[in-house]
Formats: sequence, structure tokens, C-alpha cells
Amino acid sequence: MACSGGGGHGQPSSAILSPVTPGSLSTSRTRAHSICMVSDFFYPNMGGVESHIYQLSQCLIERGHKVIIVTHAYGNRKGIRYLTNGLKVYYLPLKVMYNQSTATTLFHSLPLLRYIFVRERVTIIHSHSSFSAMAHDALFHAKTMGLQTVFTDHSLFGFADVSSVLTNKLLTVSLCDTNHIICVSYTSKENTVLRAALNPEIVSVIPNAVDPTDFTPDPFRRHDSVITIVVVSRLVYRKGTDLLSGIIPELCQKYPDLNFIIGGEGPKRIILEEVRERYQLHDRVRLLGALEHKDVRNVLVQGHIFLNTSLTEAFCMAIVEAASCGLQVVSTRVGGIPEVLPEDLIILCEPSVKSLCKGLEKAILQQKSGALPAPENIHNIVKTFYTWRNVAERTEKVYERVSGEAVLPMDKRLDRLISHCGPVTGYIFAFLAVLDYLLLVFLRWMTPDSIIDVAMDATGPSGAWTHQNPDTTQRVENDEVLDTPR
Amino acid sequence: MCAQSITSTKEAKWQKVLYERQPFPDNYVDRRFLEELRKNIYARKYQYWAVVFESSVVIQQLCSVCVFVVIWWYMDEGLLAPHWLFGTGLASSLMGYVLFDLIDGGEGRKKSGRTRWADLKSALVFVAFTYGFSPVLKTLTESVSTDTIYAMSVFMLLGHLIFFDYGANAAIVSSTLSLNMAIFASVCLASRLPRSVHAFVMVTFAIQIFALWPMLQKKLKACTPRSYVGVTMLFAFSALGGLLSISAVGAILFALLLVSISCLCPFYLIRLQLFKENIHGPWDEAEIKEDLSRFLS
Amino acid sequence: MEDERTFSDICGGRLALQRRYYSPFCREFCLNCPRLSLRSLTAVTCTVWLAAYGLFTLWENSMILSAAISITLLGLLGYLHFVKIDQETLLIIDSLGIQMTSSYASGKESTTFIEMGKVKDVVINEAIYMQKVIYYLCILLKDPVEPHMISQVVPVFQSAKPRLDCLIEVYRSCQEILAHQKATSTSP
Repeated sequence: MACSGGGGHGQPSSAILSPVTPGSLSTSRTRAHSICMVSDFFYPNMGGVESHIYQLSQCLIERGHKVIIVTHAYGNRKGIRYLTNGLKVYYLPLKVMYNQSTATTLFHSLPLLRYIFVRERVTIIHSHSSFSAMAHDALFHAKTMGLQTVFTDHSLFGFADVSSVLTNKLLTVSLCDTNHIICVSYTSKENTVLRAALNPEIVSVIPNAVDPTDFTPDPFRRHDSVITIVVVSRLVYRKGTDLLSGIIPELCQKYPDLNFIIGGEGPKRIILEEVRERYQLHDRVRLLGALEHKDVRNVLVQGHIFLNTSLTEAFCMAIVEAASCGLQVVSTRVGGIPEVLPEDLIILCEPSVKSLCKGLEKAILQQKSGALPAPENIHNIVKTFYTWRNVAERTEKVYERVSGEAVLPMDKRLDRLISHCGPVTGYIFAFLAVLDYLLLVFLRWMTPDSIIDVAMDATGPSGAWTHQNPDTTQRVENDEVLDTPR
Repeated sequence: MCAQSITSTKEAKWQKVLYERQPFPDNYVDRRFLEELRKNIYARKYQYWAVVFESSVVIQQLCSVCVFVVIWWYMDEGLLAPHWLFGTGLASSLMGYVLFDLIDGGEGRKKSGRTRWADLKSALVFVAFTYGFSPVLKTLTESVSTDTIYAMSVFMLLGHLIFFDYGANAAIVSSTLSLNMAIFASVCLASRLPRSVHAFVMVTFAIQIFALWPMLQKKLKACTPRSYVGVTMLFAFSALGGLLSISAVGAILFALLLVSISCLCPFYLIRLQLFKENIHGPWDEAEIKEDLSRFLS
Repeated sequence: MEDERTFSDICGGRLALQRRYYSPFCREFCLNCPRLSLRSLTAVTCTVWLAAYGLFTLWENSMILSAAISITLLGLLGYLHFVKIDQETLLIIDSLGIQMTSSYASGKESTTFIEMGKVKDVVINEAIYMQKVIYYLCILLKDPVEPHMISQVVPVFQSAKPRLDCLIEVYRSCQEILAHQKATSTSP
């Protein structure tokens, strides 16, 4: 949504962050860093990781840091683009292998990444998502080049099956000499510490955030004669769509004044359609299909109760968004969900049809008796919980800490790989690290750092963008005020 | 915001929540860190003799292959008349058929709803077809070199052993593939026998020992474990005896294999079980335990 | 007025930038690449010949040697005539337009002219080139239908690939002329 084609002038209001006043900026100002966010997942792809990277970058720019983003090319979108506020994005032409993640040979991305790190004078590499091969590549190369590294993990993994054993081993290798790791919830921290055999001291918990101005309640949009349950999620197994297919007939038979609105698309949509067909619920269960991010709020405000049936979840932005819109949230008690909202705003259930129905019935009863607080009140409580400003502030602290740390020299790094990752894997990756280093030496000989042009800073202390047109942000803010839906 | 909370609650207790700004650094590690970690909650405790008992399925299948090869060798050498083998096979099949119904008092039959007449029909059809096609089977692989046939049979029988359904819940298990491989091996081997009647008897015998015999075994194991152990022992000793009459070294090696599978492997399994560390916690993907198909049927 | 300065290209090779100011609104920029050095020519020829001799001793076929001769000769001809560009010139005249000339080592010249009416702007852009991210100067052409849109991007100094400092030099001069041109065309 925030990708403007060439110049970055088209700025949809949902992506704009209202600027802080300069006074508040200078009080907490620490050292300005030059940060490179690396992930396979970025706009135009949509999802939690993508918006996290975007919003965090915007807030860091606002706080005076230089931020660039490196991702892979999406279709025709190759090369270098600028987004709102001069956020520079490199879309590298690397082959996509599976699920928008690039193939990794551990080496082929080194020349380009090294060139970018040098020309942008990057000091901190911040990789995102353990599913992204490019993020791990960047960590590996950054350590070879002696740069500070930070990694944010957005997902949970099990330990039971063969595939997770393998991916966990790779994560151990990848994170063994990363300076700092950020997780989105305490459960996610425990998970990552176990998976990658880390010292918990170097793992920080910084939750995701939601822009509360995007998710405001609107009680007049919902009909109080019936009770509407809203579900917004991808319709896949991991999001518990199978549970939903059991809940719908159970509750619809019991409560004649109950409607469902389901937003999202996915392979499991078919079973919802079957349920609807079988129980003749066409007028009571609406399947909206895929939703754009900006439409989510308009769907949420139509309901009274939000239902989340996920089977695994590191943070779950959806329930925060729903609560911010003033809905009563009913959710499964999995992963990091119990940490996200206080008990009076959420009803937690076991991941079974019976328990979820019980939770929903409780919520319906409260709704009918009028025991629930008004949407506006819920919104006012929730909007203080998670803000991107806060996330950026806390992330900045991590950068501050990291920038004071020493990067392991090559020999220490090899020792650590061998001692930390087990004999076989350790030696294999130590060998690869040596190869990577030799390749870097070769590249430095081919094109010395001195003949690489230093890129013009768009953002940061001497950013051309932020200094040239301070009036644009002002104008944009005014636009946003006008655009806010009533 | 942070400064505020520090002053207000100096002695604050750490909570595992994200919505509150707590007076702790982001990388704070509480004593409660990893308190929900559980280890080996689904791990099974194995009893040595129970594992030995379960390993008998493997023993049985190994012995089946061994007996099959031994019989083939006898036929190939001309020491065993096909009529005699056919007669014995028929008699034992009939015995097995009767046993099959007797063990569970005919309950399995009631459940499946198959009549005796249907059984007889399919048996007759099968025998007739095999008999009719046996000349074809005999000449089918005549142009293929004998070495190739032997190599192929070895691979097919190995494949049969690998893919056989031993009761494990794994992706590799495929009883149809396993059976087909065994029948293919028998067809290959049958084509090297002197006459077409030999080939017919060989294929029939393969069906008996690879398809029918495991079914009877399974039922025996489920209903009368004691007699099943006896049958397994008997079968193993007869296979060993047969092999001994051909090659003493082979028999010794085979005996060692059987002993290691039935005694050493279970011992190792139980020893290694002590090192098992299966980690569970709140991050595990929840399992849907209910049967949700009832809403759709 | 004429002066000459040395810059380097993106691979570290030397480039000479000649600027000729014929009048305040007519300037010429000339980028000279180093000529084909005798050393690299000898090195390539020797490699081809050594390989040819190696094959010859292996197969004992004199055809290989004659083939090697013709390959080196034809290759050199083709290289000088179609690949190796010695000089790239950018001539910008306020009232007329922009002319780009590239002279090949063989003496062949190819010229592109863009009239001023079509030029929207001259900018420095970034691109991913091979395993590098480089700056390049380019001319933006106006869309004939929609004057605010860009129909085409014409890169300048494509073969020399100078570094940013050189590009900025040329860019500043071009902008001066373009600014003057805009001022004169809109004033009447």
C-alpha cells in the first residue's frame, strides 16, 4: 500500500505517521545509526513482517536515523525505489525459490550486498524473519565484513518433526554470532532461545505495534438487533479454519440472531463454503474473500465480537486491531496470545470447538446483557498499549547497545561456530565462513572499497530528503486529518 | 513512560505480558523464564519384552522371504516336485482359512460382510488365471539375462521388506507397493524354473506366503499373542532349517540377523530412549483433537 | 574555454573529462577512455596462440593454427569496430538540443540527437548493474501526449561509466543550461 512507483510522492494516508514535534525528538536523541533492514518480505507483498519493517523504518527515520531496506525483486519492481520520507528500498534481482523466499547458496548474494553495505556506509544490519533466506545470508555476510547484526524473529517453530530439527540447526548457525536478537513476545523469546541455543541476555522482547489511528471504533456501523462475529485471517490450517467450520453450525443453530462475517482467502475456504451450503446459512455467514489492509477496519467495525482460532501465533496483530476497533475478542490460548491483551478485554479458550463455543457464548451473553464496555472505551485503553513510536524507541536502545559491542574477529568467529554449533555442522559452516571471507577478499581486490561511490543519504543526519522538504510532512499531516473517516 | 513506571513500582514483579510497560529492560530474564517448558510428555516408556514381541513382525517377514527363496532353490534344483508343493500349499491355505475364522469366532467376517462363496470365487478365478497365464509368465522374461533377473529379484525382495506395513505410521509404508514388489520378484524367479507348471506353482506360493500369511499373522497377533509367539518361533526355525540344508554359512548369518533384530535392537532402543529430549511448550502448534468431519457429513 | 580533468570509472580505470565551453549556453563534455593498451592486446593474443599450440600438439591438425590466426584477427577487428568505445561526447546547446556521440576505436562514430523540446530533464539515477550498484546520468524524455509524464530514459556515457564526482560535474553544467532554457522559453 505504501509503494509509490518512482518518486515516492503518492502517499496513501494509512501509511503516514504523523510527525513528532522537533522538541521531543532532540531530548531523547542518541547517536544516529545507519541501519540496513534485510528481508525477503516487503511491499508489494503484504503481511505482518512487511508492515513491521515499513513502520519501524519510518519511525526510525523520524528519530533521525538513516534507514535503507534490501529485499528481492518483485516481478517488474527491480532496482532502487524511494518510499515515503525517503525510505530507500533496494529490490535486488535474486531468484525467488519458494514462498517469496530467495534461494540460498550462501555466496551469490555477497557481491551485491557488500556493495550496498559499503556504498551506504551501513553500520547495523537488521534482518527480519527466520523464513527469509536473504536475511540469513545478510547476517552471514555482515559478520564476515565485521558489521554489527540484529535479527528479529517473527514466528514460532516446534521441535518435534524432522523439518523443524533441520531449520532449528540452521538458525543456531545463523544466530550463533549475531549481536542481538529481537522477539515479538515472551513465548517467542523462549522459543528462539531454545531453538538457537542462545544466551537469553542477548534476546530482547519488543512487541509488534498497531497504528491506533487506523483502527478506530464506529458503533453506528453495526446493527444491534443481531450479534455479529467477525473473523479476519487467512483461511489456512494454521489459522484454525477447521475449528471455525465446527463453530459456525454449532452456534448458528443455538442462536438465531447470530451472524458471521469472515474476511480472508485461502485453501480452507472451501470447507467454510461447504458448511454454509449444508446448514443453509447463506444469509447469516458472509465470506468476503481477500481483504486489503485498508479495508480491514471497515469490516471489523461491523461486528460485536472478534474470533481468532489460530493454532500457533507469535504475537497476533489481528486481535489487537480488533480490540482497537472496540470489539470483544475471543481467542485460542496458543503461543504468545495470552500476553497480548489484558484479561478483561479477551476471552481465552482452548483450541477446541467446545471451548471456543463456550467462550463465544459467554461473550454473546455479555453483549446481550450490556455488560461489555463501550467500543470507545476499549479503544482508548488499547491505543496506549502498542505504538510504533514505542517499538522504535526500544529498538533504538538495542542498536545503541549493539553499536558498542565488538564484532568477533575471524578466528574467534570460527572458534565460536565450531564450539557452539556441534562438531559436524560447526566445521562445515566454519569452512563456509572461510570461503565467504576469501570471496570477500577477492571482491575487495577486484573493486576496492575506495572506488565504490558513497551513496547520497536520503534519510539520516545529513539526509537530503528529510532536510530539503520539511514542508511536505506538514502538508501530509493536514491531508490525513481531512482523510480520517468519520 | 518508562521513567514513570520505575518510580511508581520499584519493587514491581515481572509479569509475562506485553501490554504493560514494565520497569525492566527488554532483555530482562526472569526466574520464570522457560517455566512452561516440558520435556518428553509424549515419550513412550518401552518394556524390553514388549519390544521383542513387536519385533516378531519383522522376523516373520524376513523368514517369509527366506522360505520363499529356499523353496525356489529346491524347485530350481529339481528336488521338489511342483505337485507336491501345490498340494501342501493348498492344504495349508485351507487350514489357515479355517483358522482365520475360528480365531475371532467369525466376527471379522460379519464385519466385512464377505460370504464364503465370494472367497471361493476369487480364489478360483485367481488360480484359473494364473494357470492360464503361466506359459506366458514362463517365457515373459526369457530374453532377459539370468544375472539381471537375480539382481532384480534381490532388489524387489529388499523393497518388499522396506515398504512392508510393520504397523509403523510412516510415509514410506505402502502395503500395495510392498506386495507388488514381492509378486514381481516371484514372477522373475519363476521364469528361470524348468516348466510352466513350476512357474504357476511358484506364483501361487508367493501369493500364499506374501499376501495371505501376513493377514493370518496379524489376526493371530491380535487375538492370541501366545500362540503367535509359538508360530513365529516355529516359522523362524523351519526357515533356518531350510537354509541350513542349502548353506551352513548362510544359515549362521541369518540366525545372527534374527537374533540381533529381536534381541539387540530392542535393547538399543531402550538404552537410547534415555537420551531422548523432546521439548514442548506454549509455542507448539495446537492439535485439533476433535473429529470435525461430523459437521460436514 | 577548454579544460581537462581526470576522473575514474566505476572499475577504477582512468577517464579524462574534457569540457569545452563554446558559449555560456553551448557546452561540450568529452569522456576519453584509455586507448587499447599494447599489454592487454599482447596478453590476449598470446593466450589464444598458446591454447592453439596446445591443441595442435594434441591433435596434430594444422587447421587449428590457421583458425587461431583468423579468430584473433577477426576478433580484434570486431572488438575495435563494435565494442571498444574510445570517446563519448555530450554536446548540449541551449536552443537546439542534446547530441551524444560515441566514437569507436576503429574510427566509427554513432550519433544520437535529442531536440530540446523533447527533453524533460537531465538527472542522475541509481541502478543495479551486474554485481554493482552504480550512478548514471540520464536524459528524461517527455511523453508527447502527456507532457508531465516520462516516456523514455536515455542513459549518457553508457560505456565509460564514470563515477559520481564526474557525473555531478556534468550534471551541474547541464542543469545550468536547462534552467536558462526553461527561463527563456517560458518568458515570452
